[in-house]
Amino acid sequence: MENTVKNITYDALVIGAGIAGGETALNLANTGYKVLLVDKELSVGGKMIMLSKVFPTLDCAACITTPKVSEISRHPNITIFTGSEVGKIRKLSDNEFVAQVTRQPRYVHVEDCTACQLCEKACPVNVRDQYQFGLIGRKAAFIPFSICSPKAAAIDIENCTLCGACEKACPTNCIDFTMEVETMELHVKTVVIATGFNLFNAEKMPRYGYGVYKNVITAQQMERELAPTRPFNTVLRPSDGKVPDKIAYVLCVGSRDASIGNPVCSQICCMYSIKQAQLLMGTLPMADVTIYYINIRSFGKGFEEFYEQAKGMGVNFVKGKIGRISEKENGNLILRYEDINEGKLQEAEHDMVILSTGVLPNTGIDKFFENQKLQLDPYDFVAQSDMLVSPSKTSIDGVFVAGTATGPMDIPDSILSAGAASSEAISYLIQQS
Amino acid sequence: MNKKKRIGVYICHCGGNISDYVDVEKVRQAVDGGDAEIVVMAKTTMFACSDANQREMVEDIKANNLDGVIVSSCSPKLHMLTFRNVTERADLNKFTYVHANIREQASWAHSDNKIGATEKAIHLVKAAIAKSRYADALETNKIKATKTVAVIGAGVAGMKAALSLAEKDTEVILIEKENHVGGRVAEWGSLFSSTETGKEIIDRLYAEIVRHKNITLMTNTEVFENKGSVGNIAIKVRTITEGTEKLTEYTVGSVLMATGYDHYTPKEGEYGYGSTPKVITLPEFKNMIDNQSGKLMHNGAEIKNIAYIYCVGSRQSEGENTYCSRNCCTSTIHAAVTAKQKFSGITNYHFTRGLRTYGKQEILYADSLRAGDIYLQFYEDGIPTVTNEGKKTLVKVNDVLTNNREIEVEADLVVLVTGMVPRANSTIGTLFKLPKGRDNFFNEVHMKLRPVETVIDGVTIAGACQGPKNITESVNSALSAATKSYSILSKGELETDPLVATIDPEKCTWCGACEAACPFDAILKIDNGKKIIAEINNSVCKGCGMCAPVCEPDAINLIACSSPEIMSMIDALV
Repeated sequence: MENTVKNITYDALVIGAGIAGGETALNLANTGYKVLLVDKELSVGGKMIMLSKVFPTLDCAACITTPKVSEISRHPNITIFTGSEVGKIRKLSDNEFVAQVTRQPRYVHVEDCTACQLCEKACPVNVRDQYQFGLIGRKAAFIPFSICSPKAAAIDIENCTLCGACEKACPTNCIDFTMEVETMELHVKTVVIATGFNLFNAEKMPRYGYGVYKNVITAQQMERELAPTRPFNTVLRPSDGKVPDKIAYVLCVGSRDASIGNPVCSQICCMYSIKQAQLLMGTLPMADVTIYYINIRSFGKGFEEFYEQAKGMGVNFVKGKIGRISEKENGNLILRYEDINEGKLQEAEHDMVILSTGVLPNTGIDKFFENQKLQLDPYDFVAQSDMLVSPSKTSIDGVFVAGTATGPMDIPDSILSAGAASSEAISYLIQQS
Repeated sequence: MNKKKRIGVYICHCGGNISDYVDVEKVRQAVDGGDAEIVVMAKTTMFACSDANQREMVEDIKANNLDGVIVSSCSPKLHMLTFRNVTERADLNKFTYVHANIREQASWAHSDNKIGATEKAIHLVKAAIAKSRYADALETNKIKATKTVAVIGAGVAGMKAALSLAEKDTEVILIEKENHVGGRVAEWGSLFSSTETGKEIIDRLYAEIVRHKNITLMTNTEVFENKGSVGNIAIKVRTITEGTEKLTEYTVGSVLMATGYDHYTPKEGEYGYGSTPKVITLPEFKNMIDNQSGKLMHNGAEIKNIAYIYCVGSRQSEGENTYCSRNCCTSTIHAAVTAKQKFSGITNYHFTRGLRTYGKQEILYADSLRAGDIYLQFYEDGIPTVTNEGKKTLVKVNDVLTNNREIEVEADLVVLVTGMVPRANSTIGTLFKLPKGRDNFFNEVHMKLRPVETVIDGVTIAGACQGPKNITESVNSALSAATKSYSILSKGELETDPLVATIDPEKCTWCGACEAACPFDAILKIDNGKKIIAEINNSVCKGCGMCAPVCEPDAINLIACSSPEIMSMIDALV
């Protein structure tokens, strides 16, 4: 539960409340340990809670995430700090870490907020909604997204004009502009890093025109267009709101590409693109969907069958990497590529292009640790000190790692990795006591 | 039986999964205030399982003084427990909760017929309301749990799981049918991303296992009997040493299955396997390069040109193994790179179906390209051929990467990249009644929510018996399974569902029909002082209902599926 207690000892500090961190926290809490779960976002649930459906079973992501989030939120052994960041961690001895946690003011008392949205209606400020990846706008007084947890408003103080309209509209007087940054020093016995990943910024590949051509979007944005809580209630292309009928996926954007500094395969993009293609075939039965790929990596349980199913549904797979994208006057896009099967350069016109951007490390985690060195691997993911035998051990005894903080991983693998991290953390707590 | 008067119904959109095909508002109107006005509240919700809705449900139950709750959403397998817990948090007995599945049974099954799907959903919800009227408040049974886990299979997954449990002050019986530990990993030399060999890794784990007082290691041992259920599972094992057989009995709280996989064996003649001596499998090749030094030799001839044919026995869209075996690409490239480094003059030709060196394994692929390995590609409809011309063995393919040009390689050795297949011997799976997936590996309950649990309570699965995995992935799943088995037993006490069969001693005449029908050996023959009757062992009974229909005198009742409940559901459905 979200809490305001300070200066308390916890058994475990879990950094990051995505699926890996959440699963770790639950495993620890269910075996009787007190857990402090910290996330820099305003909601727990990480990246998964924003997804539409998940491969290869096409379960809706919310159906899987929200009950877990609910269990985490009300577990008596879990204390959650959202909007909070870990500053410094010092290891005093085995079994004893001191962590500095800074909580940014939300300017809303979460326990009093009923998520009635009257503040949203009253707020005159419009900004781009980062939880919809910029597809639509939101207010400066806002509820992050419909299934967020805690479900409570927050004030975006950067963009707020301090007009006070929200305060007047709020029926429970839960908006409080006097809230300040809180810094806490907490004692914990073990630390689990579950800080997840970042997605590649497609603007760094100007030849694909992201940020310039309106109808070139990222797969993350398409994920929102396909989600049950989608902003437009259908799939639209941004330039003119037309329903697209010739959609292209460009794989390996920011992955397997030493020229942009990331030679690693992101492991999930093939599958999430195939999944989106299947969902698009359902949403827009008349649309053509083409996936331009180097290799299709459908390696997990049920993945190859899912790929075959997409082919059967009529998704068009073209082996060839896109060299360049240019825009026509009507907003359509010309993709230039080497068609490997035909053995020649080709051009194809599409009315919407989705860039399947890759997985990059969430950097800066090593800076948390003051008197110990957290080793990173050559790609800046957290290094696994005994990768084959104890995959969640790091270079610091008593600090474990779960999920994509160690490298690209899909959801089932992240959950298994969280299971491993919790196992090691529980053993550490038992052995040290 | 207490008939309910104030029932609340929730109809879930499931974010479109249901509402795209079922008109949820129509369902709501059809049941609201209906059934003699006992439905006092009916709502639709975007996600019934979301935190916000769960909180709302608790408030609704209290505010409306509900005595019965129904959620019409997905399969009860997914969220029945979620909503039972919600009911309990609202101070209502959790067994008064009734679940209606209108996703798998209505919207998904009838996505071609929206009107029909909606009608069916209405019927299903009405049946649930009918059942809810008779759903009794029940108490869970509490049983003592034995804090011992049987780990079956002492490969890398089983060994790690055993150690992890032992470190958590849990007794472990580690059972291995071979005379040595280590499984497949013990067979391997050099490994990708490790300075240790497979054998060294196993030696390290073995040293820890023999030191640990909480682990009893039994090699040459197989489980042959399994009785009881989670918390108290009685297993019998047979150990055969030097021709003598020894039987031992254990009671354990949980069983962790880590029985591994088999290598795919090519069919006679598949790419010349068996008929051409130069054709071997990947495990045979790895063995060769680990054990030879100086020159790489096969059948008395030095090896220079090696052709690797990928996906042998995997990714057969029409065949028996439709799945991708996941780690063979990386394993092959690692072996090829190792061979090149260890022996002089080696050229590697990879005949692939598109490489799958996912994640950081991609670096290995890039390295091998730089080292001069040659990669060719084919699709399933244009597989390579292996032919012999005199003493020459030729591998031919129409290469996708060079505009389908026919390319021919004269190979000194052809390595068939064979993948992982489920264990051919399925005795242990049958003994524990473990379900298998489409791929014939053991199946988890839910890939994301409960990835190491099986539908058999207390039996967890780890490593490659669940599907192809590399060592890191096997160990992650082993540690997850250990966490799960540990969390089941750590409190020393278990709650079990009261949904079991009951015997009416007046009606029972002991004919033995129920005993014969019970798949769980839960029926005992007892003398109650008046006569011989059947009795149910509550800790073993799963409430499956196999016994009830075979009972001629109608002496068996199934709790929560009583005759009034089922009859009223049928009335609502027809």
